[in-house]
Amino acid sequence: MKFNDVITGKNINKQFGKFELDVPELHIPEGFSTALVGENGAGKTTLLNILGGSRRDNKGEITYFDGKKIGDDGVLERIGFTGTKNYLLPHWTGNQVRELSEMLFDSFDKEKFDSICKAIDVTDSIFGPTAKSISKLSDGNLMKLMLATVFARKTDLLILDEPASPLDPLMRDMLCDILRTYIAEGNGKRTVLFSTHNISDMEDVTDYIIIMDNGKVLEEGFVTDIKEKYVLIKGDGELSPEMSEALVSVHKGKYGFEGIALSEKLEVFTKSGVSYETPGLYQICVAILKQNTRLEMPVI
Amino acid sequence: MKLLQNSGIPIYKQISEQLKEEILSGKIKEGEYLPSIRVLAQDLRTSVITTVKAYEELESEGLVTAVQGKGFYVNAQDSELLKEQHIRIVEDNLMQAIKASKVAGMSEDELKETLNVLIKLSEEE
Repeated sequence: MKFNDVITGKNINKQFGKFELDVPELHIPEGFSTALVGENGAGKTTLLNILGGSRRDNKGEITYFDGKKIGDDGVLERIGFTGTKNYLLPHWTGNQVRELSEMLFDSFDKEKFDSICKAIDVTDSIFGPTAKSISKLSDGNLMKLMLATVFARKTDLLILDEPASPLDPLMRDMLCDILRTYIAEGNGKRTVLFSTHNISDMEDVTDYIIIMDNGKVLEEGFVTDIKEKYVLIKGDGELSPEMSEALVSVHKGKYGFEGIALSEKLEVFTKSGVSYETPGLYQICVAILKQNTRLEMPVI
Repeated sequence: MKLLQNSGIPIYKQISEQLKEEILSGKIKEGEYLPSIRVLAQDLRTSVITTVKAYEELESEGLVTAVQGKGFYVNAQDSELLKEQHIRIVEDNLMQAIKASKVAGMSEDELKETLNVLIKLSEEE
């Protein structure tokens, strides 16, 4: 699959303490939606903060929109960024958020902002007599507010850190519709990059996936290719050493085993009569992360 | 278009099969452009890469042609190919009928007789 980069990264590196973010190559495809997946502490937020321009103490070279730097004229204007630590101050209400967004971004449309807030039902929480300050908002309403500030602007690239996590199922579903609409109306020129733990909920808005752990990229690719690269294996017999070797990860139980293997090794299983099917994206992500995790099943 | 989440058939395949049917039946005409991959993804509430893959599938079967920057248009359909496609549908359906007849305990003659009756019925229509 051929595509242009909307972001190109070379040797992106950031160290703090024992943690090191180390991404030698990064290509975010233009006109598509890319999901960044990984355990807590994998470096997703650090990477997104760097790409969104909210932290610039990293090494390496990053270019946007055909060779431009984050500080170049008009680049930040074209990027909509929502991070976990946003630019909103704790004591602000809606009016201040609106004023500041207007000051920061030329294309911020006040009326559009108000109508989005109304549509996604945060108006009462942030404006008027019952308004709460940012610090008192629920996580869900804070995320809705941040999304409203981004969608009230004209942008070509969205960088969203965990947009789905604090949202209820209905709003999460709507977020997917909003993102698909954003991309469809961009005619191949608008891109979304987001991190998520909610892989299944976001699968229908994920074109490209990057799986990270411990500051490094473990696997990446278009979802259709990734799904062909791995198979879900299910057997009720014994695992041979050959099979164990071919599995990326496996769960063994009393009644058999289930695991993810590389499709190119499928023959190892089919010749022993083990069944297989196309895995979901969630199952692939978990299998790859399991292979590298420091987590262990605790005794409870 | 109808997409089933748990049918075991990948979504892109369901999309390409249904579009194929519309192309072969002439519902989408020669020279007509298919909806853009991103607009179709938005309408079907699926990822863009899914519709890309569906269109690539149609392209590899020679049903559509991709034009850089413009999208995918429907090719003139080869009548031989069309015939072949329909023969395959007939075979698939007859095979199902044969299997069902076995379950029902019908003899070969009964099955043939049923087919003859149905042919006569459809001629009267």
